[in-house]
Amino acid sequence: MKRSLFYSLAILFFLFPAILLGLKSVTPIWRWGEPLSFNWTLRGWTSFWMDDRILHALWLSLLIALTVTLINLAVGMMAGKALSHSSFKGKSMLETLLLLPLFVPAMAAAIGLHITMIRLGLANHWTGVVIVHLVPTIPYTIKIMKAGYDRLGSDLIDQSRMLKAGPFRTFREIELPLLLPSVRSAVFLVVTISMSQYVLTAIIGGGSVITLPIIYYPFLQSVDDTVMAAFSIVFAILPVFAVLIIELISRFFITKNSFFNRGAV
Amino acid sequence: MKWLHNNRSAVLLAPALLFLLLVLYSLTMSFVESIRGVDGWTFDYYQGLFQERRLYASFGYSLTITLISTLLSIAIGWGIVRSFHTFIENSPGKWLVWIPMLFPHFVWGYFVLLLLGQSGLISSALFGLGWIEERDQFPVFVQDRNGIGIITTYLWKEIPFVILMLLPVYAQLPKQYGEVIQVLGGSKRHIFKTIEWPWVKPVLLEVALILTAFIFTAYEVPALLGVQYPQMTAELAYDWFYGVSWDERSYAFALLFIAAAVMGFIALISFMILNRQRWLISKSQHSR
Repeated sequence: MKRSLFYSLAILFFLFPAILLGLKSVTPIWRWGEPLSFNWTLRGWTSFWMDDRILHALWLSLLIALTVTLINLAVGMMAGKALSHSSFKGKSMLETLLLLPLFVPAMAAAIGLHITMIRLGLANHWTGVVIVHLVPTIPYTIKIMKAGYDRLGSDLIDQSRMLKAGPFRTFREIELPLLLPSVRSAVFLVVTISMSQYVLTAIIGGGSVITLPIIYYPFLQSVDDTVMAAFSIVFAILPVFAVLIIELISRFFITKNSFFNRGAV
Repeated sequence: MKWLHNNRSAVLLAPALLFLLLVLYSLTMSFVESIRGVDGWTFDYYQGLFQERRLYASFGYSLTITLISTLLSIAIGWGIVRSFHTFIENSPGKWLVWIPMLFPHFVWGYFVLLLLGQSGLISSALFGLGWIEERDQFPVFVQDRNGIGIITTYLWKEIPFVILMLLPVYAQLPKQYGEVIQVLGGSKRHIFKTIEWPWVKPVLLEVALILTAFIFTAYEVPALLGVQYPQMTAELAYDWFYGVSWDERSYAFALLFIAAAVMGFIALISFMILNRQRWLISKSQHSR
């Protein structure tokens, strides 16, 4: 009873909007007061291939999101390990401070960095946009990675070090494979957050860094709901796509005969 | 050896500290910009800011929308987790909760517009059923003065966030203590007070702070679903930042710096109190 109540609510409020947007992206424009038309069309989707500007924005957004993700993973894993596996004075204070960027407006950070970025030549360039996208993402990654290292514990790492494996080999064969679930959630979250930034990208990118949100946002009021729905779906697909890319990269890193793949666990 | 170990964690923490420095630097710079006058440093812009009528209209409007959205998201999300957590974890249900998380806020705002706007799908369907004759007869839910469209979008996006933040907590609750309390004749209220609340409280505080800071100063959703006047904080700051006069630019820095300082201060104080409570609990457990 409880289960079916939850599923009907979740399907109505969470699944239905995605299905409706998907359906809208392959049907012609629905005008007010006219019966819905279901003459299937691929016009919304082909607009991605027809327009060079959109295709370029798609690749640029992906480049920015993946760079942000890689920096996030490096910073998050290192900090997560230190916060989880060692204790030092002021650790809980430091943990709070590292979460602090989530509790202050990201826009304050963006306009604060603006002048410095202009001086350094990073404004109006995609690298500057990468830096400002780190502000709302890194605290989440550190949190996720710390929880991951908490679950992993230090026993397996100590054992591998005792058997004379170097830090890199230990990382490749023990830490990375066992942390993959945390890596996946971090990538999901970071790419979604990076894809959601309109105002931060607009301020630092200054109109020269054209990402998907920069193109999409001004047209949200347009009547062409077919193209807008296709855009909307792309925003949700990109994080999934990014997880696949990161998965491939980490497969490459994790050696074939790692602890994980021997069937020991 | 200990020195070596500590040094190792210092190296591991270096990039994170660098990041923290970047954020603190950016906030300092927005303060510096807010007191940089045409000739020398001045606090005049703060005085000017507090005489702006737009500021007061925006403040009340932003605060109302923020508090309603935050409190309702937490209440509903927490309620859902409390009633359903036993089967959401490790089930396809969890994937359903992830769906709204995948879409950016402005995409969800677009969906709310598509569904609830006066020319939206529901309005159109009601016309098809013959319940309304003109689109003007459909109530104004989005781009309305009360911010209903903004609140709807935030609730729809943040309830899944609250659920996903609270699920791990409920999966780790030490349920055996509940049995102990029951055997010893404790009531449901006791179970809540001694087991559930201490575990849930820090996460609820964190979620509340994140949502308050985010909703109060996010630009995308109110700029899409709000009205020209009053505007939410970020819209006002954005207008001023790109305004023609130097005064307005300084107002933007001052406004966002004040918001950052107040929110950062509240967050730090609440976490310090919380950490102290935790420290006291762990200390009393050790001395037993």
